[in-house]
Amino acid sequence: MAAPVNPIDIQPRQVANKSDKKALLAAIRMTLGVQSAAIRRNTQTFNRNRYTAVARIADYDALKDRARKTKENAIANLPELLRQLEASVRANGGHFFLAKTAADANQYIRDVLVKHDVKLVVKGKSITSEETRLNHSLEAVGIKVAESDLAEFILQVADEQPSHIIAPALHYSRERITALFKRKFQTNLPLDTGEELTRFAREILRQQFIAADAGISGANLIAADSGSLMLVESEGNIRMTTTLPPLHVAIAGIEKVVPSRADFQSFIELLPASATGQPLTSYVSILRPPLPAPSFAAPGKGTKPREFHLVLIDNGRSRMREDSVLHEALYCIRCSACLNVCANFETVGGHAFGGETYSGGIGGSWEAGTGKLMNARFSELCTGCSRCVPQCPVRIDIPWLNQNLRQRMNHEDGTSLTKSLFGSLTGSAPQDKSAPLPKQFFANYHEVGKWGTRFASLANGSSHMPLARKFMQNALGVDSRRELPAFPPKTWEQLFREEPRVEKAATIEPGIAMLTDTFTNYGSPERGMAAVRVLRAIGVDVELTPSIPDGRAAMSQGMIDTAREQARAMATMLRPYLDSGRKIAVVEPSVLAMLRFDCKHLLDDEATIAALASNSFEALQLVWDMATEVGIDLSAAFPAAKSRFGTRLFYHAHCQQRTCSAASQTIDVLRAAGFDVVTSSVECCGMAGSFGYKRDFYELSMAVGADLFAQVRDAEQDGGPRILVASGISCHEQLMGGMGRTVLHPAEVLLSTLRK
Amino acid sequence: MATTFVTTHPLVEQFEASAKAAVATVEIIDRTPAALRDAIWRAAGDANRVLFAPPQDLPAELFAEFARDPRVVSQPSAEELVNTPAGVTEAFAGVARTGSVCVDVGYQRTGMASLLAPLHIAVVAAETIVPQPRDLFRDDVLGGKGLTRSFVFITGPSATADMGPLVRGVHGPHRLHILVLR
Repeated sequence: MAAPVNPIDIQPRQVANKSDKKALLAAIRMTLGVQSAAIRRNTQTFNRNRYTAVARIADYDALKDRARKTKENAIANLPELLRQLEASVRANGGHFFLAKTAADANQYIRDVLVKHDVKLVVKGKSITSEETRLNHSLEAVGIKVAESDLAEFILQVADEQPSHIIAPALHYSRERITALFKRKFQTNLPLDTGEELTRFAREILRQQFIAADAGISGANLIAADSGSLMLVESEGNIRMTTTLPPLHVAIAGIEKVVPSRADFQSFIELLPASATGQPLTSYVSILRPPLPAPSFAAPGKGTKPREFHLVLIDNGRSRMREDSVLHEALYCIRCSACLNVCANFETVGGHAFGGETYSGGIGGSWEAGTGKLMNARFSELCTGCSRCVPQCPVRIDIPWLNQNLRQRMNHEDGTSLTKSLFGSLTGSAPQDKSAPLPKQFFANYHEVGKWGTRFASLANGSSHMPLARKFMQNALGVDSRRELPAFPPKTWEQLFREEPRVEKAATIEPGIAMLTDTFTNYGSPERGMAAVRVLRAIGVDVELTPSIPDGRAAMSQGMIDTAREQARAMATMLRPYLDSGRKIAVVEPSVLAMLRFDCKHLLDDEATIAALASNSFEALQLVWDMATEVGIDLSAAFPAAKSRFGTRLFYHAHCQQRTCSAASQTIDVLRAAGFDVVTSSVECCGMAGSFGYKRDFYELSMAVGADLFAQVRDAEQDGGPRILVASGISCHEQLMGGMGRTVLHPAEVLLSTLRK
Repeated sequence: MATTFVTTHPLVEQFEASAKAAVATVEIIDRTPAALRDAIWRAAGDANRVLFAPPQDLPAELFAEFARDPRVVSQPSAEELVNTPAGVTEAFAGVARTGSVCVDVGYQRTGMASLLAPLHIAVVAAETIVPQPRDLFRDDVLGGKGLTRSFVFITGPSATADMGPLVRGVHGPHRLHILVLR
C-alpha cells in the first residue's frame, strides 16, 4: 500500500494485514501519531493493577501450574473432549456444531438465524467472531447486528478492527469517542464525559436488547462434562445477551474446552486478575444452557422455549495442535497480560502490534495459526525482552513462539547469493542463511565485534563516516541517528590478562567463572572488569571463560539453528567450570536469561539444562548472595561516601534481569553500601538489544524510552541530578542517547568507592 | 443506642470489606422478616416499585413481611421488568475474598431481577459465605450447587472503562446493596 504522509490519514483497516512490511511501518506511524497516549494510559493501568491483583492470590504460582496442566491435558485430549462436550450439550437440550472453517461457522449461524426469522441479533464481545468476520456474513443476508459491549460498539461505529484482545477499543481516548459519536450520530446531546457517553450508548442498546430475536456470545471456557460456559465481563451486556433473547448462540474456538466445570477452579481467579487486575470482574457467568424459557414476554414477542446452539470453530487450530511450537498458543486463555506488560505494546497497541484480529506478543501465533504465516509479520515488535513470560497465567513462553515465527518468516523471505555470502562470512548456520541481511548482521554480532575490536580505530572511524553509515542504514538497517558503541582498543579478555595479580587472597571458595559474553567483551570491557574487581574485592576467586558466542543475538533474530549451535558450544565450554563447583557469573543480563531459561529450547540434555539454569547468576546478585552468606559488611567494603560520583543514583534494571529475579539484589547491594537509589518502573527501556538500532523501529524505540527518560527527570526534581546506572548494555545505550549523559554499570559505581 | 452483641464471623468481616472495595454497599442484619423488610426499604429509598424474585434456598417466610407491601412486583409484565427501579433477589453464596454474591440465573426471574433494575438488593446468609471464588466449584461446598446451577458471580455494580474514565452503571445495575443475614 502507498501510505499517506500524515498519520491521521491512515485508517486502521488499511493496515490491519501486515504481511507487507510497509503496512507494519505505516501502522506504527499511525498509532504513534494518533493513539499512543490512550493506549499507554489504559495498558499501564491494567499492568499496575495486575501486579497488585496477582500478589493477593496466595498460591498464585501453584494455581498457574494447575491451570497450565489443565490446558496441557485438555489440548492433548481434545478430540475426546469434543465428543464428550457434544453429548453433554445435546443431553442438556442444546445443539452442537463443530465448524472446520470460519466460513462453515458463519454459514451455520446464518442458517439458524434465518430459520428463526431473526431480524436483529445482539452480540456480546467475541474475538472469535471477529476472526470469522461473522458480522459481515450476517449483515449480508439482512440481519442487523448490534454489538453490545461498549468497546465493540465503538469499533462497529468506527469500522475498525480490535486493538486489544480484551479491551478492543482501548486505543480511543474519551475525546476521540466524543468526536466519533458526534460525527456518526449527528447528535447535539452533551457527550463530554464518560458518564454521558455511556448513557448515550446504553439507551441505544437497551432498546436493542429488548427487541432482539437472538443473542450471540463467546465463551471464556467450556466444560465438556456438563456443557457449562464461563463468561467474564463487567458491563452486564453478556448477561443480557445470554439471558434475554429466546435464542442463544455461543461461538468459541475448540481450544476453550476443558474437561469439567471443576476445572474452572484454576481459572476463575487467574483470568480476571491477569486481565484487568480485578479480583473478579463485575460479572462472571457460569451457565449450563439452554436456560429455562424467560417467564415474561418482551413487547410484541410470544414466550418461546429457549434454544441454544454451541458453535465451536477449528479454523486452523487442529493444525496448530500438531505444530511442535504453536500448540502452546492453544493454552492461551486470552487474558492480555502479555499485551499490557509489553513496553512496545503499551506504546503502539494492537493496530500496530497486531493483525486483523489478534494482537500483542501472543497474537502472532494466532494470526499465523488461523491464517497465513506472513500475517504474523507484526510479531517483529516482540523484542524477546521476556517480561511477559512470568506474567502468563498458563506459562506460555511467548518470545520463543515469536522467535520461531521469525525463523519461519526468514525462510519464507527466500535466499539470495548476497545473504548466503554474508551468512558464511559472519557464521550463520546453513539453515539461517536465508535470513535478511540486517538480521544476520545483528545475529552475528560476535563476529562483528571480533573484527571491530581488532581494527578498532578503522572500524570506529568508519562508523562515523557518512557514507559508511548510509551503507549500514540501507543494507543492514542500522538507524543513522543512533550513536554506535565504539569498539574498544582492548577486549575484556585482554584487559583481564593484563590485570595485576590480586594482592588480597580469595577467601570465598570455590570461586566463580565469569562468562565472557560477546557484548561485554567487544562492547564494554570496562564494565566486565569492574565486575571482576568488585567480586575480587569481597574475596571471590574469579576466572574468565573464553569468549564465544552464546546464541542470544542469533535467537533474537529468529536464527534458531545458529543459536542452537552456539548454545551447545557454550554448554560444552562451561562444563568443566560447573564440574569444578564454580558458579557462573554473567554481566550482560540478556545472556543470563539465555542460561536461565532459553537453553531449555536449544539443548537436549536435561541435566545440562538444569545445571546451567541453577548455577548462573548476575554478577551483582552474586555479590549480594555471597556477602550475605559470609557476612560481609557492604557499607565497609564499598563505602558510598567515598564514591567520586556522589551517592545519588537512578538505577534501571534490565528487562531480562527482572524476569530472572536477579535485579533486586543489585539495588540491595547499592543501598547496603550507602547509596541513595531511585529505581525505574518501566518494563523495558525500548532499546531491547538490537531492536532500537533498527531504522524501521527507531521512532518506536525512542517513544518507549520516553517513559524512562521522564522517570529520570521526575527523580531529579528533588535534590538535583542523579548518576544514571544500568545493568544492561542496551539500556545503557538507550539512557545515554535519551539523556545525553554518562551511564555506569552498578559494578563501576561500587568500584568508585575503593579509592585509596 | 443499640449495641450488637453478636460476634461477626471472620469471613463475614472479610466479605464486607471486599464488597465495599468493589463499590457495593453492605449491611449486616438480623435474620427476621421485620429486619429484612426494614433493611430492603431503607436501601430502596423512594422506589415506587420493587421487583421481587422469590427465593429457592432461603425460607419464603423470611420475605413475607416485605412481599406484603403493595409496591412489590413479583409477577412483572415485560414493561415492569425493564422499568422497575430496584430488584430484590437472594444470593445462594457469598465470596469473602472478592465480596461477590452468587445468584442463580436459571431460577425463575432471579436473573432478570438482579440485572435489569438500576439498583440490585441481594440477600445472602452469613453461613453461605465461602473463602474464595474457586470454592464454588467443589462438590463439598454448599452441597455442590456451584457445580450444577447456572449462576453469576456478581462483584459490585456493572462498570466499564471503554468510554475513557471508569464509569459505574452500564447495562446492569448502577448500585449493588448486599444484606447479610447474621
